[in-house]
Amino acid sequence: MIRCASLSLTLSHRPVLHELSWDLAAGSVWGIIGPPASGKSVLVKTLCGLFTPQRGTLHVDGVEMTRLPEPARVDVRRKMGMLFQNNALFDFLRVWENVAFPLARQDPELSREELAARAGERLRAVGLAGSEEKWPSELSGGMKKRVGIARATICNAPVLIYDEPTAGLDPVTTSKIYDLLTDLRTRHASTVIAISSDIPALRRFVENVLFLHQGRVLYRGPEAGLEACEDPVVYQFIRGLGEGPL
Amino acid sequence: MAGRVATSFGNLFAAVGAPVLALCAEVGGILTLLFRVLWCLVPPRFDLDETWRNLHKMGVKSVPIIVLTAFFTGGIMVIQAAVFVKKFGATSLVGWGAGYAVFREVGPMLLGLMFSGRVGSNNTAELGTMVVTEQIDGLRALSIDPVRYLLVPRVLSMIVMLFLLTILGDVVAILGAALFGTVLADVSLASFWVSFSQNVHVADVVHGLIKAAVFGFIVALTSCHFGITVKGGAVGVGRAVNNAVVAAALGIVLSDYLLTYALP
Amino acid sequence: MIGNFFASIGAFVLGLVEAFFAGLSIAGRTFRGVFHPRGRARGEVLHQMYQIGNRSLLFVTVTLGALGMVLVFQVCLQINKITGDQSQVGPEFIRGMVHAFVPILTAMMLATRVGAGIAAELGSMTVTEQVDALRMTGVDPVDYLIVPRFLASMMMTVVLGVYATVIVVLAGALMAHTAFDVNYAVFFVFEKVTWGDLGVGLTKLVVHGGAIPIVSGYCGLSTTGGSEGVGTATTRAVINSSLTVIILDFVISAIGLMTVQSGV
Repeated sequence: MIRCASLSLTLSHRPVLHELSWDLAAGSVWGIIGPPASGKSVLVKTLCGLFTPQRGTLHVDGVEMTRLPEPARVDVRRKMGMLFQNNALFDFLRVWENVAFPLARQDPELSREELAARAGERLRAVGLAGSEEKWPSELSGGMKKRVGIARATICNAPVLIYDEPTAGLDPVTTSKIYDLLTDLRTRHASTVIAISSDIPALRRFVENVLFLHQGRVLYRGPEAGLEACEDPVVYQFIRGLGEGPL
Repeated sequence: MAGRVATSFGNLFAAVGAPVLALCAEVGGILTLLFRVLWCLVPPRFDLDETWRNLHKMGVKSVPIIVLTAFFTGGIMVIQAAVFVKKFGATSLVGWGAGYAVFREVGPMLLGLMFSGRVGSNNTAELGTMVVTEQIDGLRALSIDPVRYLLVPRVLSMIVMLFLLTILGDVVAILGAALFGTVLADVSLASFWVSFSQNVHVADVVHGLIKAAVFGFIVALTSCHFGITVKGGAVGVGRAVNNAVVAAALGIVLSDYLLTYALP
Repeated sequence: MIGNFFASIGAFVLGLVEAFFAGLSIAGRTFRGVFHPRGRARGEVLHQMYQIGNRSLLFVTVTLGALGMVLVFQVCLQINKITGDQSQVGPEFIRGMVHAFVPILTAMMLATRVGAGIAAELGSMTVTEQVDALRMTGVDPVDYLIVPRFLASMMMTVVLGVYATVIVVLAGALMAHTAFDVNYAVFFVFEKVTWGDLGVGLTKLVVHGGAIPIVSGYCGLSTTGGSEGVGTATTRAVINSSLTVIILDFVISAIGLMTVQSGV
């Protein structure tokens, strides 16, 4: 589904991604973990074509992205739904308008009523029935995440990307969000990429893991193999040890 | 029915009253700050090192922008003078017109606005961030008076700096006016100089420089006031910066109005 | 310290050149967006016009009113010293306002008020990833965010400029009448204003009005580094759009002087 080969990216004279190669099969579920500022968010944004890497290639569903001009990338982005780290809810739109926004862009023929109906249905699916007419600023952190998830999934895109779906949420809400994500995955069989700092919860959700440190891949493979990884950074990080190279 | 009319009247009063009250609160805050600053000046009790650091930082930051602004302001003024005198053929008036306008009004005003945008807004953001990150409370906890340690040095630096920058700006603006007068309006350097030196008096320069010092004071007070009263985290800092530049612009224009009468 | 100073000038010039080209690219994309509207929200231009007008009406009234009085005062003072003939003050003042002072002063005030607002708004949208979210759904941020503000600001600057001219002339007449005994009938003479003056004044208003959202929108969209970044973007927007207005004003004045205003 997504295949990147020796991607390198520099942002304002600072190298962020370094010779990164990664291959995602359609329908697989990946988690990205790593210390803060290791390039996790930049990596998933690069996959959507929001950043242009200086070197390397990136194929999404067979289309080479890195040399495409901005307008042509839109067709590739339609295949992806993304939940942003800060939710990125449009504060000038109501909740249902936020959820319906990608749908309205994809299919301009849809009437306002149809959009509202589809958005309402999606909001019920994430457990937010009745919040359609609220503004994003009136929602709690967990509710904002849910709205973000509803917006990311409304187009039934084949690739779903969740950047920190549970950051700043309490344990109960966290487990509810992961239940929701698991439910969505079984229903639509999409390829899923999730970034999280909550490693135990993330590992229960994903099949494969990519460990990123300073823009380099330290581990890439099945979640179960993470324990056996001998890299000192990975060893320290997944066990949460105080002593080590970090 | 009567009840509804009454509420709509109530709403009207609330809509008018709330901004007026907010305005009064801001003006009151600025005046309080003014007295607290003056209190620290007689006899002088403030941090000299911090004053020197601020002078240096503000100067380095604003010299390029002031030079550019002044250069083009000189150009704009000489063109206006040229449009005016062309029909009389009185090119001997150009140097006088440009010099008079730049020294007394346009120079201090535009340089003051640019200074407010560059140094004033930066100051608000800096103080606001210190409030939001509780650094001001930290100073208080060490029993250091933030007014004496942070505000008075900034106020003094801004007054002195805008005064000095206006002198520099005046010189650059006149050079710009002379240059563009020759290029665009066929006014020779010699006739520009004769008209300028015979008709523009020291009093005009002094008039403008006093204004500059007062504008510096106003920029300093507004930017410090909005900086130290920041509420509501980082979003509040952005709002404070916005309010500070607008308040400074209002203050500059209104005090210009008063000073024009008061000064010779 | 001296090296530091030159380094800061060098950095300033480099930043200026970089910003200039980035601004040009945004301007190009904005113009393209104006002529090929793609999925702009309905009523967005009207909404933005309301925002701009609502934000600046009172501000423009107060500042331009005070400035009108000051300028008339300065001119009359000078004329009293030389000839004492006040009959030409009104007509020449009105002419100078139309083609020179109102466009630049209104635009400077709007650069402060509107420019800072646009940069703060787009800056916080950038740091909260709303701009990325727009791009994800195939919306060009320039098309969606800057084009409506560009069109709205261009129209509202012209409207506010015309309104400001009325305010300035009324305030000036009031001042001339009360302080220098100039008859209203002698003051309100509009015959001196040529079509060329009107054209130059309107061109300036349109160009300045278009430049402010492009420059400040660029500052907003290029925000980096969290919420402190928004403060920096706001201050950059104020200073860059003011400077852009001054330079554009100079260029248009020079072109006007050499073409439509040359024969008069």
